[in-house]
Amino acid sequence: MNWLKRSWRDTLFKRLFVLLWVTLVGSHFLAFSLVMSQIGRPDVGRDGGPAREAPSAWSRLLIFPSLPPMGGRADGPPPPRELAGDGPPPQPPPQGGRAERGLPGWLLALDYGVRMLIIALAAWLGAAWLSRPMRRLSVAAHGLGEALQRDAAPPRLDESLGTVEVREAAQVFNQMASQLQEQFKARGLLVAAISHDLRTPLTRMRLRLETLDHEPAAQRCVADIHEMDALIESVLQVFRGAHASEAPVSMDVLALAQSLTDDLVEQGHSLTVQGEPALARVQPTALRRVLGNLLGNALRYGERAEVTVALQGDRVLLSIDDRGPGIPEAQLESVFQPFFRVESSRNRATGGSGLGLYIASDLTLRQGGELRLSNRPEGGLRAELRLRRA
Amino acid sequence: MIRCLVVDDDSEIRQGLQAFLERFAMQVSVAADGRQMRQLLGASAFDVVVLDIMLPDASGLDLCRWIAQQHATPVIMLTAQGDPGSRIVGLEMGADDYLGKPFEPRELVARINAVLRRAGKVGAPRGAAPQPSRQLRFEGWAFDRLLRQLISPQQVVVALSGAEFRLLSAFVERPGRVLSRDQLIELTRAPGVEVNDRSVDLAVSRLRQKLGDSPREPRLIRTLRGEGYLFDVKVST
Repeated sequence: MNWLKRSWRDTLFKRLFVLLWVTLVGSHFLAFSLVMSQIGRPDVGRDGGPAREAPSAWSRLLIFPSLPPMGGRADGPPPPRELAGDGPPPQPPPQGGRAERGLPGWLLALDYGVRMLIIALAAWLGAAWLSRPMRRLSVAAHGLGEALQRDAAPPRLDESLGTVEVREAAQVFNQMASQLQEQFKARGLLVAAISHDLRTPLTRMRLRLETLDHEPAAQRCVADIHEMDALIESVLQVFRGAHASEAPVSMDVLALAQSLTDDLVEQGHSLTVQGEPALARVQPTALRRVLGNLLGNALRYGERAEVTVALQGDRVLLSIDDRGPGIPEAQLESVFQPFFRVESSRNRATGGSGLGLYIASDLTLRQGGELRLSNRPEGGLRAELRLRRA
Repeated sequence: MIRCLVVDDDSEIRQGLQAFLERFAMQVSVAADGRQMRQLLGASAFDVVVLDIMLPDASGLDLCRWIAQQHATPVIMLTAQGDPGSRIVGLEMGADDYLGKPFEPRELVARINAVLRRAGKVGAPRGAAPQPSRQLRFEGWAFDRLLRQLISPQQVVVALSGAEFRLLSAFVERPGRVLSRDQLIELTRAPGVEVNDRSVDLAVSRLRQKLGDSPREPRLIRTLRGEGYLFDVKVST
């Protein structure tokens, strides 16, 4: 079915082919009918043939647009070409009465076939010729996206190539590309500058608080500094996520889940991991961050987490179950929006930045994975991460 | 007495760090930029440099390389950018450790002590000990010490936990040597983490699992009853 759909695609070649064919047929039809209508008039014709012959001339239209017309009968009207008076002498009738009906079938087919072939060739060449600037543009536009992601120089189109319209398009594209790149650079610098300028005063505050070690308020200030720093880090992650493109490799998902869990257990959290070794095609640093965010969420809201790794067809399924309050069904999709917070968690003890799930789902999609949340029937939230199997 | 040089362009951070580190019996000098830092390093010897990555007159990375070449003093880099990329670059440029701002002051003290422990005796120069390379190889495995992961002979990335990473680091630096549990506890100590016999045994069994080493007859990490563990492979860079 797919090849059928593909072969019906609207291409420049098909458009040109149809256009040329319609032009050819149309021009023949028009010219021929005009000519024939002239022949049909009593005062026209080499020998001023009688008007009664007009119907037989019209009957030749049935064989259109096969030109040049075949030789007519000796007593028939002359073929149009001879009207000019400089054509070759009328040919003898090919096969008696068949001449009245035009060319024999196989010749007609040959005639049509040759025309169609030549027109197809012309349309193909024309399409290749006309679409070259478009293809260059689409290649450059594709390269632009990648260049912006990798912070490389954007591709440039040759502004001295092709027709006037193409040159103009190339100029506009080049301008747009350099503007975009400047904006991306500016955004990168801005984020880095904000991050630096916020973290420097936070560092000063943290050092100042060291002199007030035993004040209970100082401890709360330290907690606030950590919270602000975590928020800055999340915002930076959002920015980096859009920027960095990490090469995918095969990774042992169970080993990763085990490592992150072991680290969290070492810090006194309670988690378990079970499952089978499963290799997935992923971006390792990004996946580590995704899992880190999901495990952090599970522990923040659910106190304990159970991680399961399983193979499921061509996917690796990693699920994280917690024992927390879950998320109201109506908000299960909204939590992936940046800075969205489930209403009940809007207090400082469980706060979080509201960016963790957004970052997790963004990074998952980037590596061809899928992240879903659901409430477990026995209570608590389940996060399901599906990754491409290696 | 640990002699420490703090390089940061923010005067209050310099003074705050100086006051804080002096409480831990360190002798602290401060520099506001790269020029001052070079002068101070040229005039007297230091055990450790705490270096901010963004200075008005020089890139922290260049300074870091310069220190590694000229003085071989251990460097702990501070950065407010917190970019994982710059962490890797920093460590490759010869920094010994890396801390993001804002940091817990006590964490910095722990890192200074850890770096000095690694560098050898406190007070002695690091000497000609080569910078440990980022990637080590053994038995077809590659151990990436910056990304803290293993790459299997089949090119599969295998993540390591903090404990496994510290343990494997201790092993690859001493291949073919029997390490007792006490030695391993000492070598794998980390700030804020309790390391004991049980945690070392657990990390060994996890590491064997990840390396595909059979627990019954381990080939890579061998158990020597009553003595400890032996990393029985040839390690190359």
